[in-house]
Amino acid sequence: MFEMDGDGKGKKSKKEKKKERLEGMKKEMDIFRLFSVHPQGLTSSFASQVLERDGPNALRPPKGTPEYVKFARQLAGGLQCLMWVAASICFIAFGIELARGNLASFDNLYLAITLISVVVVTGCFGYYQEFKSTNIIASFKNLVPQQALVIRDGQKNQINAIDLVVGDLVEIKGGDRVPADIRVIFAQGCKVDNSSLTGESEPQSKTPECTHENPLETRNIAFFSTTCLEGVANGIVINTGDRTIIGRIASLASGVGNEKTPIAIEIEHFVDIIASLAIAFGFTFFVVAMFIGYEFLEAMIFFMAIVVAYVPEGLLATVTVCLSLTAKRLARKNCVVKNLEAVETLGSTSVICSDKTGTLTQNRMTVAHLWFDNHVHAADTTEDQSGQSFDQSSETWRALARIAGLCNRAVFRPDQEGLPVPRRLVVGDASETALLKFTELTIGNIMVYRDRFNKVVEVPFNSTNKFQLSVHELEDPMDLRYLLVMKGAPERILERCSTILIKGQELPLDEHLKESFLTAQMDLGGLGERVLGFCYVYLNEKEFPRGYKFDSDEMNFTTSDLCFAGLISMIDPPRATVPDAVMKCRTAGIRVVMVTGDHPITARAIAANVGIISEGSETVEDIAIRKRIPVEQVNKSDARACVINGGQLKDMSSEDLDEALRSHPEMVFARTSPQQKLIIVESCQRLGSIVAVTGDGVNDSPALKKADIGIAMGIAGSDAAKNAADMILLDDNFASIVTGVEQGRLIFDNLKKSIAYTLTKNIPELTPYLIYITVSVPLPLGCITILFIELATDIVISLAYEKAESDIMNLKPRNPRRDRLVNEALAAYSYFQIGAIQSFAGFTDYFTAMAQEGWYPLMCVGLRAHWENVHLQDMQDSYGQEWTFGQRLYQQYTCYTVFFVSIEICQISDVLIRKTRRLSVFQQGNKVLVSAIVFQLLLGNLLCYCPGMPNIFNFMPIRVQWWFVPVPYGILIFVYDEIRKLGVRRNPGSKRNHQVSNPKNKSSCSQKTPSSPSSRSILLFKTMHSTFQMAILPSRVWMVSEWACSSFCTAWLPGSTTSTRLLSWPPYGPPRTLSPWQPTQIYRGRRTENIEDGRKGRGSPE
Amino acid sequence: MAALKEKRTCGQRCEDFGRFVWNSDNGTLFGRTPEKWVYISLYYVAFYVVMTGLFCLAIWTLMYTLDPYTPDYQDRLPSPGVMVWPDKYDEEHIVITYNSSDKVSVSKMSSCLHNFLGQYNDTLQKDCDHNCTKGKYFMQHNFLPGTHTKESCSFSVSQLGNCSGLHDPTFGYNCDMPCVIIKMNRIINYLPSKNNTQDIQVNCTVLEGEENVKKIEYFPENALMDRSYFPYYGKLAQPNYLNPLVAVRISLTGKRSAKFQCRVVADKITYENIHDPYEGKVVFTLQNLHVPSSPSSVHHHSSTL
Repeated sequence: MFEMDGDGKGKKSKKEKKKERLEGMKKEMDIFRLFSVHPQGLTSSFASQVLERDGPNALRPPKGTPEYVKFARQLAGGLQCLMWVAASICFIAFGIELARGNLASFDNLYLAITLISVVVVTGCFGYYQEFKSTNIIASFKNLVPQQALVIRDGQKNQINAIDLVVGDLVEIKGGDRVPADIRVIFAQGCKVDNSSLTGESEPQSKTPECTHENPLETRNIAFFSTTCLEGVANGIVINTGDRTIIGRIASLASGVGNEKTPIAIEIEHFVDIIASLAIAFGFTFFVVAMFIGYEFLEAMIFFMAIVVAYVPEGLLATVTVCLSLTAKRLARKNCVVKNLEAVETLGSTSVICSDKTGTLTQNRMTVAHLWFDNHVHAADTTEDQSGQSFDQSSETWRALARIAGLCNRAVFRPDQEGLPVPRRLVVGDASETALLKFTELTIGNIMVYRDRFNKVVEVPFNSTNKFQLSVHELEDPMDLRYLLVMKGAPERILERCSTILIKGQELPLDEHLKESFLTAQMDLGGLGERVLGFCYVYLNEKEFPRGYKFDSDEMNFTTSDLCFAGLISMIDPPRATVPDAVMKCRTAGIRVVMVTGDHPITARAIAANVGIISEGSETVEDIAIRKRIPVEQVNKSDARACVINGGQLKDMSSEDLDEALRSHPEMVFARTSPQQKLIIVESCQRLGSIVAVTGDGVNDSPALKKADIGIAMGIAGSDAAKNAADMILLDDNFASIVTGVEQGRLIFDNLKKSIAYTLTKNIPELTPYLIYITVSVPLPLGCITILFIELATDIVISLAYEKAESDIMNLKPRNPRRDRLVNEALAAYSYFQIGAIQSFAGFTDYFTAMAQEGWYPLMCVGLRAHWENVHLQDMQDSYGQEWTFGQRLYQQYTCYTVFFVSIEICQISDVLIRKTRRLSVFQQGNKVLVSAIVFQLLLGNLLCYCPGMPNIFNFMPIRVQWWFVPVPYGILIFVYDEIRKLGVRRNPGSKRNHQVSNPKNKSSCSQKTPSSPSSRSILLFKTMHSTFQMAILPSRVWMVSEWACSSFCTAWLPGSTTSTRLLSWPPYGPPRTLSPWQPTQIYRGRRTENIEDGRKGRGSPE
Repeated sequence: MAALKEKRTCGQRCEDFGRFVWNSDNGTLFGRTPEKWVYISLYYVAFYVVMTGLFCLAIWTLMYTLDPYTPDYQDRLPSPGVMVWPDKYDEEHIVITYNSSDKVSVSKMSSCLHNFLGQYNDTLQKDCDHNCTKGKYFMQHNFLPGTHTKESCSFSVSQLGNCSGLHDPTFGYNCDMPCVIIKMNRIINYLPSKNNTQDIQVNCTVLEGEENVKKIEYFPENALMDRSYFPYYGKLAQPNYLNPLVAVRISLTGKRSAKFQCRVVADKITYENIHDPYEGKVVFTLQNLHVPSSPSSVHHHSSTL
């Protein structure tokens, strides 16, 4: 926020305004620097006046969206708009019909009502889902009111922090949360944890001196919502409520606009396709109808009906339910999704900008390494102490542990015996806490241990000494010596030592040992760890007899020629699951960028630790050191990794930043301000990435908001972060993100399949009407029947969730420009090929039903006018029988029903082909799908044969054999698509086949066997395949069909010119490379066997 | 996603679209080279030709399996419909309105009936009555030798007596005794009654305005549809078949308006299907707009005065 000068030049005016604001803020600070302090504090009456003027000292919750707006949003998506338009067209058409005196036609009205109710019902469903997750999030809010100790009217009072006003004199002590932005006027060993503001895990000491111009850096200002770790301080409140730094950051977040989710963009794209096809189709037939000689109004109604028929009514429900189901599944895995559409966003994410503290790390200083006996020992840093510990048998270790235990002022809060040590609350600063916990774990019961060594005196840490010491009586009552223990900055400690303890023996500290000490210190420091040195000495009992007056200020005792025991280094260690999760992200082609407020060295160490900077990656600086050349001469593209700190970032233009992000795959940003986080996110987005941002602090909230998907931490996360985020990890575990990515990718695939399936039947629903208009046959498919296909039977199937086809986590994230949810290729294939076959099936069944009941196909042509004449009661059929209008109507319903049945049957075939994108159907099984198909058939049967249906829903009990008429077409669809998939598998050379660099996955992928197919499906597969092989392989026929495949592949690829593109058939997505564990030989074996079988079967000459 | 959402002006969009339509750099038309479009079109043409071929094959197979004489199923024809002539409708219902004093109205009605009866011309129905035995179903299980047709009994207009239009070409529409003709739809192999004994009879009842109906007469006598006209064997087998008719002469009086239901009575003919009002019965309103000033109306007037 304070380092925004020089970011991006695009939004000059906005920037300037912010700058002004910033200047204003600095001025305010100056004013308060001069603020005179009355030791009595404010008077209550004045305070209440100020309170009235400034309002309560609390962050105004971001203006919550009103519930009705949330609901309205559910009704205003892309698909919803399409349906609203369709519904209004229906109303208009109904109005026209009504005006023309056609009272019988209520279809349009029903359709309009259905469309609206679908939108409203799915809207309610989506709203309910989001409402539930909002509730889960709300339950995490901290409801305990904060207290503050304030001096008013010369008296100390405990009041609610929200009643604080500017000018109040407050007192804080270790363990308190700072109740407002305060200027410190008196401090004693006061340390504040700023991590919620800056992300730094290092505690900052606060003193009354103004040390820096920048309020964030200066020592004399403590910020609202940070925690005072130790010491006491008095200060004047200088800012309250939303005017505090944290309040300003929070309001920065609300200024950032919300981005549209990728899935919303995809759906809009899809709606565009649908709308343009609908209008093109409608217009064509409008012209045709006018040409045939229909009246203008009639042709207009046809136009409207066609446009409306193009609207996939069931799709909205499918999409909403799919998203909700996934949201539910994610919630079970501790990811709560605030915005349903965000479920998919995670799947298309290509960059994760992760905060370090608390997300990647445990946000808990922990002892990581020890150096004693001239060796570095690694401590167990796992959260649950499941890791390996070091050898604790050495005498030196015992001495070191004793110093660490005794020279420590941190204490456990009472009543925590039941809790595991790492989770206990401690009063004390972070390093002391780490040491306390470490000793508690290794020695055990450290508080009792300390009691045994009675503390005589202690000198707390201060910045000039850089050490802390204490003097203890010994445990053994006979031993009258005092023990002096000291810890502090390693070099300072070393200065005071003359000997060193090696394997329990005091050896003189020679140059050799000093050197190895320095190496160890550098190594540990290089790991980003905070290193402390430990030493001790037994005070001579003669010089310091019992009762000696130790003076902590004068230090009237030996503080040199001590015995060095060892080094202990601490770090905020990464969470155990993180390295694995980062690895998974990498395999999934997702770049993990660390953006933290912490120091570059620590950030880099953690990045290397969790794998954000991979082993062997070097930064420009590393290369420069290795090659011994100046940094400027290093070729930047050689460096995979890059660490940029906030200061450097400030001087970079946005182009530089883009360039840096482009050229270095492994990025770490350190010492960044909230504003800079925002800039980094924007830069990633400029490069075309879909960005996920994780974070917990208030400082992260602007970036969370800006990101395509903001992920906040549920436990550690601040309310501001949670408000700005789209998704919340209830367990604060970065690894949950990986689950989210997987589910997001799966849902994209599944939606794609569902949409492909749902779209197909639009054509067989539309062609009856087109034929009805142009050829004037009796209407083959009614409006209510269409609604039943859309809303009852089909949804069930499209919801059958498909498992991942191959390992989706080994593929790159989809390219939002190329890998669309629905592309023209998919639409064309669904509409003009599969849809066409389905239409032919429907018409075959239609003409069969008509002919077998007495109306020959040729007679049907041109029959419409008579057929629909309500006043014609003795219409003759092809056999001379006479039909009343009622009888004809029932016959028409019969046609509706057979058409319905045809679409159902073909759709079963369709869902089978859509199950997989490029694998054969037999290679994947899905029990849910089978039951969905059975359910669909049962529902179809119920509609057909339930008494009363003819007059309610226009379904007739049809002849059983008409169910089988479309079956050959179903088989045709199936075979056609299997041939297509065969072609795709044989020509996998698509540039969209983007396997991520993962050497073990680079195996051949031309064939795949079913992982565990049932014996029957193997048999079927064998039969089908051997048929293919026999018919195709031995002859040139295959060449032809190959050409056909590829040429029909091209049919749907928009704008493809390259020949590789030509073969990259799958209309909906990249041909995905198979997992390496698919044994290919088994399959090949089977195939040769098949060919032999086949030859025998065909009766070879022998 | 910022990259996907650059704000573009309309001009840029148009330009982009123009480039999409014809891109001179790589010679693509709508995103593809013309050559590729030709291949795609060829593929689609081939696809649709094959599909149409398959469809035609299917229809041909269907036609091949059909029996030209009888339809495979008669699921939607459980019971024959009944209709009345003249078939004049208002919006929904049959309302035969005429004005006996208006020549145009009378001739409209009579020409309707003349048209309807035209096919019953006696001369058209040559001697085909030789095998017809009145009062018995005319069962013909075999085709006539050589012709592949079956005989049908003739129905001559003269059987309609006073309503035949032979004596009174106006069918009584010039007075208060109009004729309506009831026809029952034909269904192949349909026998209206189970046995040979029950008569198939038309029965008209007055639903509304009973006081306006003086008399109902039927022609032929007893309102019979003779059993020898049943069953029907289809257009191909009986090209000369004509449905038996029953004419009803109604004498109107009073306000000269009444609503009738004429039902063909036989034990297999159902008539209570609420979804098909023409099944087994027909309901119509008959109204003569010309109401002569009768004594009763005068009386009525005087009473109000």
